[in-house]
Amino acid sequence: SPTGDSWGIFTFLCAALCNLPALPALNCSEELGAGQSIQQTYDLTRYLEHQLRTLAGTYLNYLGPPFNEPDFNPPRLVRAEPRVPSATVDLDLWRGLTDNARLAANYRAYSRLLCYLRVLDGQVGTAELRHRLAHFCASLQGLVLSIGGVMSSLGYPLPAGPAAPPAGPPGAPAAPNDFLKKMDDFWLLKELQTWLWRSAKDFNRLKKKVPPAVVTLRLEARGF
Amino acid sequence: ETHTQYERVGADVTMKCGSMDWDAAVTWTANGTDIDESHLNGSYLILKNVDLSQSGQYSCYEGSSWHLKYQTNLRVGTPPKEPVLMCRSNNYPKGFYCSWHLPTPTYIPNSFNISVIHGTKDMVCEKDAVPKNRCHIRYLQLFSTVKYKVTLTVTNPLGKNFTTLTFDEFAIVKPDPPESVVAKPVPNNPRRLEVSWQNPSSWPDPESFPLKFFLRYRPLILDQWQHVELSDGTSHTITDAYAGKEYIIQVAAKDNDIGTWSDWSVAVHATPWTEEPKHLTTEAQITETTSASTSSFMAPPTTKICDKGAMVGSGAMAVCWTAGLVVAAYSVLFI
Repeated sequence: SPTGDSWGIFTFLCAALCNLPALPALNCSEELGAGQSIQQTYDLTRYLEHQLRTLAGTYLNYLGPPFNEPDFNPPRLVRAEPRVPSATVDLDLWRGLTDNARLAANYRAYSRLLCYLRVLDGQVGTAELRHRLAHFCASLQGLVLSIGGVMSSLGYPLPAGPAAPPAGPPGAPAAPNDFLKKMDDFWLLKELQTWLWRSAKDFNRLKKKVPPAVVTLRLEARGF
Repeated sequence: ETHTQYERVGADVTMKCGSMDWDAAVTWTANGTDIDESHLNGSYLILKNVDLSQSGQYSCYEGSSWHLKYQTNLRVGTPPKEPVLMCRSNNYPKGFYCSWHLPTPTYIPNSFNISVIHGTKDMVCEKDAVPKNRCHIRYLQLFSTVKYKVTLTVTNPLGKNFTTLTFDEFAIVKPDPPESVVAKPVPNNPRRLEVSWQNPSSWPDPESFPLKFFLRYRPLILDQWQHVELSDGTSHTITDAYAGKEYIIQVAAKDNDIGTWSDWSVAVHATPWTEEPKHLTTEAQITETTSASTSSFMAPPTTKICDKGAMVGSGAMAVCWTAGLVVAAYSVLFI
């Protein structure tokens, strides 16, 4: 229908060109920005998950057997202080997280994971691995910033992040031997992978709850 | 008393007549039919290389008095082969189910025991009443890094066997196919078909765990499918159907981020709209209908007004806008 067509074009144009001040009667600023950056953050987690698959494959081969065996399913050693933030969460608790808590959990997790990955970067042997790790860390840094951006645009305070990247993991004792160190690396990659899967779901949930400003936008357009 | 006796296919079976002596005079029957003396060794019944047809009720009677001395139910079968086990989450994030079966029948009763271990924790897989050979588990935690290990043991009187599956929470996610797939022709559009469907009802939370869809369609007369992947929405309009040809259409679903594609939905058939066939009419009517049909196929006037609010005809692809070709491409989607 004709009205349908012009409405459709109108919505698209607004989304694409909403930075132009020339468009009248549109409030394409912060609220739409939050919605867009949630989408961007979601896309970034998917990209990172894809990147991680290659990185993990290379790294686990570098660690050698049994770490690079597909069936490798070791028991989780309980360390004095949990070294790496875990994505695992009680189902009802996860459902009930406020937007702020949900975003903060992601922000904290990736900030710390980034620290540990940077430590790893300083230790690995091959140039190829160093290069891949560096690239991944840069993308992961982008994700942390993106989450921070979403939180700011929604008016949430950023959680106090970890201080400058430590020489070693803060608080936790260094692994006493080479094998246990490799186990730590193995679990770091696993937790990172799980967090990226979880974040896709976290951001899906956030996408649905983008502020009603988007609804306001539609009403304005209909009257236009 | 009656006993039940289980024996393997191909085994040699010796049946004793209860507590009767070896040299007692007895008569054996199988399912009521007398057994020939050649199968006897004294009062023992010998069955060599038994097969399935020899299952049945064997009775032993004392020679002269026809007193029933012993009865046994012989069941010939096999020990279980390695069972086939499958686990799947069609209701993520609620949990998953496992179902199993034996690749070949054993012909005797089997019992199944399933155990699920998650890290160090034992979990209980609740057996379903229907269908049999199926159990389900609720997730207590989500986004787990530790794998699930499911072991199925099958036991029968002749032996046992088992199989194990180890998997990550994410790996077994596979929704049920989409439901209520409907395909309809679009009036006055000979090359279109409107397809709509619903999320599978077993998928509990499409809001937080959205599904994406894969549509495939082909005219019945061709073998080659065309595919469309849709990242959201539960409807799609096919715009390149061959006029007048009957189409077969199916849809599949997948969690947006994890797991595998569902099976294809039930197939639906539809044929695009075609113009009503013209009947034999009088000359006057012919001229009327001819002029009417010509005007309805006239291309709508193309507006050269470069406004946001410009109307776009259903056939026209041109939108006069300096922002570029991208706009034109997107505007087609909204037509």
